[in-house]
Amino acid sequence: MTDTDERPAGTAAAGDTRIYLIEDDDSILQFLQRALLARPGWHLSGHSGSLAHAREHALRSQANVFLVDLGLPDGNGEDLLRLLAREQPEAELLVFTVFGEESRLIGALSAGATGYVLKGCSPQELIEAIEQIREGGAPISPLLARLLLKQFRSVQAGQPPDPADTPDEVVWLSERETEVLKLVAHGYVNKEIAAKLGISPATVSTHIKNLYRKLSVHSRVQVVRIAQERGLL
Amino acid sequence: MRALLRRLLDTPAYVWAALLLTALLLFLAQVTRLQGVDGAVVVRQAHVQLPLEPASAARPVALPHVWDDVHRSWSGEAWYRITLPPELAALARQEPGIGLLLPRVGVRFRVLFNGHELASEGWRRGPGYLDAGTQAHFVALPASLMRSPWQDNRIEVQLRGQALRISGLSPVWFGPADVLLQRHHWLQWWQVHLTWMVAASAFLLGLLSLLIWAHSGERLFGLLAGGLLVLTGRLALSAPVFLPGPFVLWDYLHKLSFTLYCGLIYLFMSELFDFGQGPARKLVRMMMLAGPLWLAVQAWAGDYQLYRLWTGVIVLVCLFALLQVMHRARWGLDVNQRLMVVVGLATVVTGLRDFMVVQLGLPGDADIRWMTPGSLVLMFAMGWVLLQRVTRSLEQVGRLNAELARQVSEREEELHAVFDRLRQAENQRVLETERRRLTRDMHDGLGSQLVQTLNLVRSSGERIESAAVASMLSHALEELRMTLDSLEPMEGDLPTILGTLRQRITPALQAARIELDWQVQEVPAVPGLEARGVMHLFRCLQEVFANVVKHAHATRVTVRTWQEGSQVLLSVSDNGVGLGAMPAGQAFRAGGRGMGNLRLRAGEIGAELRFSDARPGTCVTLAFDLGGATARREGPA
Repeated sequence: MTDTDERPAGTAAAGDTRIYLIEDDDSILQFLQRALLARPGWHLSGHSGSLAHAREHALRSQANVFLVDLGLPDGNGEDLLRLLAREQPEAELLVFTVFGEESRLIGALSAGATGYVLKGCSPQELIEAIEQIREGGAPISPLLARLLLKQFRSVQAGQPPDPADTPDEVVWLSERETEVLKLVAHGYVNKEIAAKLGISPATVSTHIKNLYRKLSVHSRVQVVRIAQERGLL
Repeated sequence: MRALLRRLLDTPAYVWAALLLTALLLFLAQVTRLQGVDGAVVVRQAHVQLPLEPASAARPVALPHVWDDVHRSWSGEAWYRITLPPELAALARQEPGIGLLLPRVGVRFRVLFNGHELASEGWRRGPGYLDAGTQAHFVALPASLMRSPWQDNRIEVQLRGQALRISGLSPVWFGPADVLLQRHHWLQWWQVHLTWMVAASAFLLGLLSLLIWAHSGERLFGLLAGGLLVLTGRLALSAPVFLPGPFVLWDYLHKLSFTLYCGLIYLFMSELFDFGQGPARKLVRMMMLAGPLWLAVQAWAGDYQLYRLWTGVIVLVCLFALLQVMHRARWGLDVNQRLMVVVGLATVVTGLRDFMVVQLGLPGDADIRWMTPGSLVLMFAMGWVLLQRVTRSLEQVGRLNAELARQVSEREEELHAVFDRLRQAENQRVLETERRRLTRDMHDGLGSQLVQTLNLVRSSGERIESAAVASMLSHALEELRMTLDSLEPMEGDLPTILGTLRQRITPALQAARIELDWQVQEVPAVPGLEARGVMHLFRCLQEVFANVVKHAHATRVTVRTWQEGSQVLLSVSDNGVGLGAMPAGQAFRAGGRGMGNLRLRAGEIGAELRFSDARPGTCVTLAFDLGGATARREGPA
């Protein structure tokens, strides 16, 4: 993650943090519980070891941070992300992944994830990552930025997108968003990007978060359109 | 009605041909039956006088009177005086008057009535080919020229003979003009009109066969075309025509054409029946070779008997050939062959009948030849066979095309299968290469990390340094992540590859308190930086950064990319002690082994490796050629 080095840890905003873990590996649960010892104000609202259990209990848990493992024993985590994004739009949906493969992450982001945390980090790193995301941060990698640039269509400099020429499935990137993504793809970190563009590092994160939202909205539009086409709606 | 037509069409052609031919022969027999004409009197007696021999007196002769039977090669002039039958005296002065019919007279003649010339054919014409005997002649006897008493009326038929032709006078018919005119029309139809009709048909069919032959080159059609065109010539020469030039030449052609026609038609049939070299075929060939010679001798000798003999030979050969065909029929004939046998048989019957009636004088109406309608039937049968043949060959072409299309589609399927196998083999090969690379990477990176960790745990005994183990395990995890990163589709995008690497090296640089100055710019895609190339580049740069961290004593390292002409350059420079100042054996891992590895990996991705003094520090530059595939596809890592 490129933004781990630029935020002071443990600010008040992240005070009321209720975490729900959806993960079939018990060692991860223990790891999380150990990590939470460092933040007495945070607590674990619950955990599910399977997709079915999570569907039953996760929504009733009042949690505002969901840590979702994509490879659940009884199904795909993305379906759950879609459900949570619809029912809990205010919550942070974090993908908990070992490797952070970008091609899988794109799918998760489209399903509604708002960020990701790598498994194998230290308890301290986990807490920091959650805090940063709660404060508006957005983890991104150069490869992910590159994939987003390919997925979206950039607005040509000085020319607003022509609405007539814009079918539903096209997502437009603003000039600034394109610049941010390009710099991320070239390996620059948020602080460097902020300096190059003359904006604050938080704004850089906001841009990225917006992009994630666009991606998920765009994918929802596509789902609706496909449903309409098939006569389901 | 349609069912009836279908049944008719389903009946084999030879069956209805046989029925039709039998009907035709019966009809011909009926028509040419010797019978009188109502009110007509046939005069079979005349007095002949030879004007070129004034000494000879007029002598009575019986009609028909043929000079060739008396004198070999006769070409003189003869005057026949005929007495009017007394039965006609009553009719002579009534309407429509009387007349006379000369069924055959030749080869040139004129008719005088009481000294007045009433009709003539070729009498005053110069030399040339003409035979008045090919058609009947009607002459009306005007009442104004009649004398009284009746016995004083004199008819004189003066004729000029021609060697090699039947010269003479047939019995003369006297009778009411209308009755004789009717008979004359009837004969005219058979002798002239039918001949021209058959000639035109033969010409058209011959032309058609000739075209097919020219197009297909099939001998069968050549023979048929030859036969039919020869027949056309023969029929034209059998009609009442006048042709200038020597009579002998035209007559020779006329007689030769019959030989050739018979020969060619037999050869056509033998070809159609696919007989090969049978004795009949040899005989017919001999006949066709001997014919011109025989006829030349006949022309030179001027002996009509020789031609009569030759006609007999032709009829015999044709009979023999037909018997051969029937003999062959024991092995079964197809529909067309049966049709030709039936029609051929009928034609031979017509020829035989003409030969016997005209040449040998057997009873029958010698004025009407059977051969002409016989040829017409034969021709139509040949046309039918021709049509069948062409239709069949068209069908065969259709079948061949279908077969060809089937074979092509089969080959296409086979090719598809081969391509599929090749593609599978290629996929297998690519998979195998990739598997080997991954195995090697796992072995060199993750494997060795894990082995080190395991050794550490084992050597620590009871007191495990969990911090050291955790650090080594996270190294192992990083190794694995790097391998996985290299599998992501980067498409030669150098800045993204470097950005990905940056995530991996940042912690180490931070730990060593070395500042990272990122000066990466957008550059064109570098060919050869696919999965394997990315891994080589990762390892190269890992080596370079490890060197900076461990030996350079630098505080800052700068990563830069830029383009220079057709090259993309990547440099990593530090502000450390520089290569020269490093203790021997330290720089790039144990005495240049690291350097060798660097060069090897750079070579693998087609990059040129340069070291330079950054004053202070060291600059390592990798230069990638944009020109194309300089990267080697295979080779050890």
